[in-house]
Amino acid sequence: MAAQTLAEAAVNEGNYAVAFPFFGAERRGAPVLAFTRIDSKKIFSKTQVYNPDCVVVLDDSLLDTIDVVSGLKPEGIAVINSKERPEDIDLGKIINTATVNAISIALEILKAPITNTAILGAFAKATGVVKIESLEESIKRKFGEKLGEKTGERNALAARTAYEKTIIGKSRGIKKLEARKQWLPTYQEMPVGGSLIEGKTDAGLIGPGSFIENKVSGWATYRPLRDREKCVMCLLCWFYCPEGTIHRISNRGDLMTNYDYCKGCGVCANECPVDAIKMVRARV
Amino acid sequence: MKKVITGDHAVAIGAKLCRVEVVPAYPITPQTLIIEHIADFVNDGELDAKFLTMESEHSVMSAAAAASAAGARVFTATSSQGLAFMHEMLYATAPLRLPIVMPDASRTLGGPPGIWCEYNDSMGARDSGWLQLYVEDNQEALDMVIQSFRIAEDKRVLLPVMPCLDGFVLTHTVEPVDVPQQEEIDSFLPPYEPDIILDTARPAMIGTFMPPEYIMEMRRQTAGAVESSKEVIQEINSKFAKKFGRDYGGLIDTYRMDDAEIALITMGTVTSTSREVVDELRQKGEKVGLIKLRFFRPFPSRELKKAVSKLSALGVFDRSISYHGGGQVYNEVRSALFGMTIPVINHLAGLGGRDVTKEQIMKMFELTRKAAKGEKVNEINWHDTRGETV
Repeated sequence: MAAQTLAEAAVNEGNYAVAFPFFGAERRGAPVLAFTRIDSKKIFSKTQVYNPDCVVVLDDSLLDTIDVVSGLKPEGIAVINSKERPEDIDLGKIINTATVNAISIALEILKAPITNTAILGAFAKATGVVKIESLEESIKRKFGEKLGEKTGERNALAARTAYEKTIIGKSRGIKKLEARKQWLPTYQEMPVGGSLIEGKTDAGLIGPGSFIENKVSGWATYRPLRDREKCVMCLLCWFYCPEGTIHRISNRGDLMTNYDYCKGCGVCANECPVDAIKMVRARV
Repeated sequence: MKKVITGDHAVAIGAKLCRVEVVPAYPITPQTLIIEHIADFVNDGELDAKFLTMESEHSVMSAAAAASAAGARVFTATSSQGLAFMHEMLYATAPLRLPIVMPDASRTLGGPPGIWCEYNDSMGARDSGWLQLYVEDNQEALDMVIQSFRIAEDKRVLLPVMPCLDGFVLTHTVEPVDVPQQEEIDSFLPPYEPDIILDTARPAMIGTFMPPEYIMEMRRQTAGAVESSKEVIQEINSKFAKKFGRDYGGLIDTYRMDDAEIALITMGTVTSTSREVVDELRQKGEKVGLIKLRFFRPFPSRELKKAVSKLSALGVFDRSISYHGGGQVYNEVRSALFGMTIPVINHLAGLGGRDVTKEQIMKMFELTRKAAKGEKVNEINWHDTRGETV
């Protein structure tokens, strides 16, 4: 929705714009990709963007696992949702970088960890591709239409606040990020029918159980904290956890949450009949 | 009025502007937004239509056939497995000459299951008697819903029409779309007035059992209607262009073909990207052109033959495979060009939704150029496919 809002703002300024998401196994909070192209004339290219002028990162935990600037043009700029200043962020190369603590702004103004409108404000400041006023206008319209006028206005305020708080500088370039390995068989190597049994490749596990490598703790904004005193061991949380991250330790009559696989959805806290589970901020 | 909207939204607005009367629907990604928007229009009183939520796609097409036979302007939309599920009823609607319009959000037909763009869903319906067209942007998606109704309801045609738009690449992509005014569409598309309908006041039989002594004539008649749709498509394209200023070329469109030595035939959004590639190659002095296959049914054999007459080689892009070698478009094109001596090679790319990049399209031109020079090239080229060398 942020990419679409940006496109609309650009079009309202007399430009042409195209915006599209790349759909994977999406859910709110899961890593997703979206692209926006802006030009003064009609855009014909319908491919994904491989060499952007600007990369916007809504979740700085991705910086540890993905080389987010690998395709960025040398004169481009990275816009990152982070509490750090640009010079304290290591992107593996020294590159134009803008940062803003969009999550704090979102929590303060929207009362929810949804950073997509705030980060648009940072984008406007960092690139000047669209005016903040145009963004405010299209955010109010687009979000207002779907979620009500008040929500539209609050989101516009989040963008404006981020715009004013954005810090522009240069990133550090010390760490070496290895390209993410992916199992990519040729058609000759592809198991017949694509059927997989448990297997190990240079790029990691494949087949049943391979998702054990797919740690999702980075998705979580909140994580559950259980109060042992209040807990009556009814096991509703264990039963309802959609990811099976809550384990029973039978010899101790206790429960344990594996935070590596907890996405912070809050279902356990919601289901707990004695309010023994509180959702607390996972990251600041 | 300019609106920045998704392809699905554009299609739904197109249907609304056509004042569709019955919309039986079943949601499926990436068509879902079309149905959601239609549901909103009906709910908000912007569209006076009967919106029917059915229990399956088979029921959708059954309800669509019944409503159309009762004289209503019927619209629905589907995709992939949904289209496959209504396959039986597709074959019922065309010979009964029911002018239903149903956009297909192009999506791979499993297995393996996937949600991304491929044409193997709609290609399976090519012999059902439905007219089929492929669009390259959201504007064309909206405009072709409107043209589709006018083509479908023309007394010389009376066939259902399936405009296909690339799943996600258009369905979920926003771009500026010029939305026509209601009055403009009202004056372009007259109300649907069929001669015979299911009406208790004037009893009729539609879709009855037919023994062998009638069916040959029925088939011949349907084949004739598909054939005469060619003329109607061109005519309506011209009328639309005159009124709205957007000329899509009719059955095919050509780009920089005037002095082209080699060309690609493309469908859907790859056409759009290819336009930029053609411009880039032209800038380097290469005489390349582009032929956009807009309608796959009816198949524009005569128009293609004319368009390629001066070429020294032709490349044909396919986004689906017929499992006996090449793609469906390739086989149709070769059949259409039978007797011509230029090399024609097949470029398979983007199956299952893999991104068709400019580099891949460059490669398609490069291989086609080699074929033109008489160099040895594969007949079937799998682009960006691990284990294949192109």
